[in-house]
Amino acid sequence: MRKKKRSTRGLVQTYAMLAPNLLLFLATSVYPILWALRYMFVEYDGINPAKFVGLDNFVRIFTRDDVYWQAVRNTLVFASGKIIIVIPLAFIVAILINKPKRLYGFVQAVIFSPTIMSAAVMALVFYLLFNVYNGEINRMLMAIGLTKIPINWLGFDMAMVTVIIISVWGSIGNYMVYFLAGLQQIPLEMYESADIDGASTRQKLFRITLPLLGPVLKIILMLSIIFAFMDMQSIMVLTQGGPFQATNVMYLYVYQLYYSSSSAGGGSFRPQYGYGAAVSVVSACIVGAVTVIYLFLSRKLDKLSD
Amino acid sequence: MKKKITPVKLLINIVKWAFLLAIMAFTVYPVIYAALGSVKSNFELTLGGGGVLPDKWMFSNYVTAFKANNFGRYTINSLILSAMVTALALITASMAGYVFARREFPGKRIILMTYTSMMFISLGSVTLFPLYSLLKAIGLTKNLFGMALIMTGGQIASVFLIMGFVRSIPRELDEAAYIDGCSLFKVYYMIILPTIRPILAVVLLFSFRMSWNDYITPLVMSIGTENLRTLTVAVVELKYSMQAAAEWHIMLAGASIALIPILIVYLFTHKQFIAGLTAGAVKG
Repeated sequence: MRKKKRSTRGLVQTYAMLAPNLLLFLATSVYPILWALRYMFVEYDGINPAKFVGLDNFVRIFTRDDVYWQAVRNTLVFASGKIIIVIPLAFIVAILINKPKRLYGFVQAVIFSPTIMSAAVMALVFYLLFNVYNGEINRMLMAIGLTKIPINWLGFDMAMVTVIIISVWGSIGNYMVYFLAGLQQIPLEMYESADIDGASTRQKLFRITLPLLGPVLKIILMLSIIFAFMDMQSIMVLTQGGPFQATNVMYLYVYQLYYSSSSAGGGSFRPQYGYGAAVSVVSACIVGAVTVIYLFLSRKLDKLSD
Repeated sequence: MKKKITPVKLLINIVKWAFLLAIMAFTVYPVIYAALGSVKSNFELTLGGGGVLPDKWMFSNYVTAFKANNFGRYTINSLILSAMVTALALITASMAGYVFARREFPGKRIILMTYTSMMFISLGSVTLFPLYSLLKAIGLTKNLFGMALIMTGGQIASVFLIMGFVRSIPRELDEAAYIDGCSLFKVYYMIILPTIRPILAVVLLFSFRMSWNDYITPLVMSIGTENLRTLTVAVVELKYSMQAAAEWHIMLAGASIALIPILIVYLFTHKQFIAGLTAGAVKG
């Protein structure tokens, strides 16, 4: 009897301590998703009353919205470009500094530092650096003779490259630390016994490090895919998706349907809350599908290598 | 036993350090450009030809940024917002993390599953619209507290970090006190909180970084209430204002004002930052 009383009291206390976090979680994570799942069937501009339109929004996405599919293609280019550059670079850095040395700690702290800075603020700095005529990047390239005419970094042809360079800048430190965490889980004894057997550095890399890092690499790749698909903050500040949609990515497009593309705001801007909700749900499904395909492929590769 | 330095080894070392130095230069250069550019004259910045260091140190750029662009107000906003988010994150996530680690209760499994799945689902900025309406309904759009609640959110990663840390503490430590009749909250307050300080430091740093740096949430939440803008929003806004777009020195001064506090924090805490990310990475 006493025990029971005690346990109900405990339960009340348990829920009471969980409540603040759980409420914030439900309100900020779950509720907006339910909202979007409802509004994706609705036409709503915030002024006129919401109108149920059935599947119209989805018909528009899949048949008429070329801008969106351009953004989807851009997202794929951006994500693959970013991952192909940042993952090998971060991996090499991690391999090179994976020893408890003071100097390496310093290198690590420096390379990690971009991850603590505001992507939006740094995008503004990059906007000046990559400026065609007055930017420091073109000035340097011209000074060392790599190019004679200034490169239009934010123009139609180069904007995507610029955006990828900046996202690599912002995330290399993160992936370096992920790789270091994975490397440090490999027991030191393995290297010691390899040393006794007279293994070379290269042998140790290909016979111990890489095979044992496999599972970690898989997780890191998955995270990098998900993050790269959602990344939009620096693009938003740097190019606003332009010029001519050249750098517009899925989640930036969603933003533009809700809030006008520049924060200065256009006078004739009419938000499309219902359509934007549908676009965001489709985008989330695309991210999910890509993740599932990736997991499926990586499992297949595993079976092959066994 | 001293290792002999062979020419091959020397070459490998040179290549290695050339690579590392190149990456380091790549990461540091934009920040140095912003910092030094913020004390150059606009003329020197845009016309170039100058050296790395400014010809004339124009600290007045900062005065101009603060005076002409109301940056004092926005800096205070950013500080208040970050303090509120950090406090809310620490309190809510530590209580939840403790309860998840130690207690069994109906609904625990499904709640944890929802937390995990939400880590990977994102609808982007769509969520800000219903959240803003929600704040409006409870009358919290006119102050920073509403913004802080939304930015704090579920703190999923923090909850999992704290849960993992509490699990690594021997159960006997807190169980005994609870059996002796201490309330759950007292056990949490007297025993758990002091023990989990290292991971709280990590949560503190992560939530400070997030709230100080975030751009889109405060941008959307301060539409129509300009006095709620944060420093990040105000700095980026310079790019769109007609008059400031030509004033690179002011933009860089603004950027530096936004970067300096977090850089100072990082200078003293980079070990915790990296250790925290590692802890999350290994567990996840």
